[in-house]
Amino acid sequence: MAKLIGGLGSSHVPSIGLAMDKGLTGTEDWKPFFDGIGPGRDWIAANRPDVAIVVFNDHGNSFFLDKVPTFAVGTAERYDPIDEGWGPRAIPSFEGHAELGWHIVDTMVERAFDPMIVQEIEVDHGLQVPMELFFSRPEKQWPVKVVPIFVNVIQYPVPLPSRCHALGKVLREAIESYPGDDRVVIIGTGGLSHQLQGSRAGFVNPEADRQFLNDIAADPDKLAAMSREDYVRLFGSEGAELMMWLVMRGAMDRKVEVRHEHYYVPASMTGAGMIVLENLGA
Amino acid sequence: MSEDRIPEIPLFDRARQRRGYKLNKMAMGLSQPGNRAAMRADEDAYLDRFGLNAEEKAAVKARDWKEMVRLGGNVFYLLKLASITPATMTEIGAHQADMDHETFLRERLGKQRKGA
Repeated sequence: MAKLIGGLGSSHVPSIGLAMDKGLTGTEDWKPFFDGIGPGRDWIAANRPDVAIVVFNDHGNSFFLDKVPTFAVGTAERYDPIDEGWGPRAIPSFEGHAELGWHIVDTMVERAFDPMIVQEIEVDHGLQVPMELFFSRPEKQWPVKVVPIFVNVIQYPVPLPSRCHALGKVLREAIESYPGDDRVVIIGTGGLSHQLQGSRAGFVNPEADRQFLNDIAADPDKLAAMSREDYVRLFGSEGAELMMWLVMRGAMDRKVEVRHEHYYVPASMTGAGMIVLENLGA
Repeated sequence: MSEDRIPEIPLFDRARQRRGYKLNKMAMGLSQPGNRAAMRADEDAYLDRFGLNAEEKAAVKARDWKEMVRLGGNVFYLLKLASITPATMTEIGAHQADMDHETFLRERLGKQRKGA
């Protein structure tokens, strides 16, 4: 059966992608962030996953407000990067693991999560940036297949943090009941603290972000028990994206080892974080 | 529009989303190169295609980010206007916070600029 070899967390700030596009990774603004991602890439190189399940939200690119799925699972053979308004970025398309996507859909429905099933969709920076941070940017082909899982964290009502955590447990079951010997990582994306709208725009909360990075490993039940309003107050209106890290965490063992952790603020208007977790049992 | 349930946070709830639907749809349209060209060629005509009212049109034409958000716009869609008139996310943030850009970077984001 397939094996879950790691749980990864990463911000997906579009400016991080832009910094890579424009060769700004060594500048005063960006060097402290990019200096800290190396161990994440090293972990990938040493552990050689075959598949990445990427939990993210679309940002008004592939989904408009006309159709808003709370959870959606990609079952496509291929996902192209989308034009967000400035033209498509020069990165390769992502090869989908359609069979695993369908198996995840089956398992979710059997466990009373009922996702939207997506066979044709383009993917925005929410998936692109974490993939680039962990896998670098390949010339032609990404080293893993992907299964995108979309979570609505924009249009209220967004799902409960506890529900995101519970979804992770179902994904673990799906991974471990999938035939073959695929090595799987699951990536929770988004955050950390940021607010892009309203008079509190520019709100960041480094103290809460650092506590979150600690708790996501050591005390995820605490994070899962928080309300959506708690997330908005603590992490800003867009910081509610952090609930998607709980999907990743729910898939992992209760006990995990932190193999890498990195935090830098501000990446554009956001606290930027990365984490690498391995299972320790139970 | 009702008061924000959480101070200073325009939660994108049902009321706000419904009010801003046309505005956001107009902005979403700018994902298409043809629509970007259309807006550059004739902004009024492009905005009229989406049925924006006078208040909404005025806010868009002034690139008044704060007002567009007040009218139910969501930055994830509105940001596409920056493909027509360049603006960075931090500039859009500063405008909403009623600060000049340098002050915003320093006070909200803790940036220390060279020479500062």
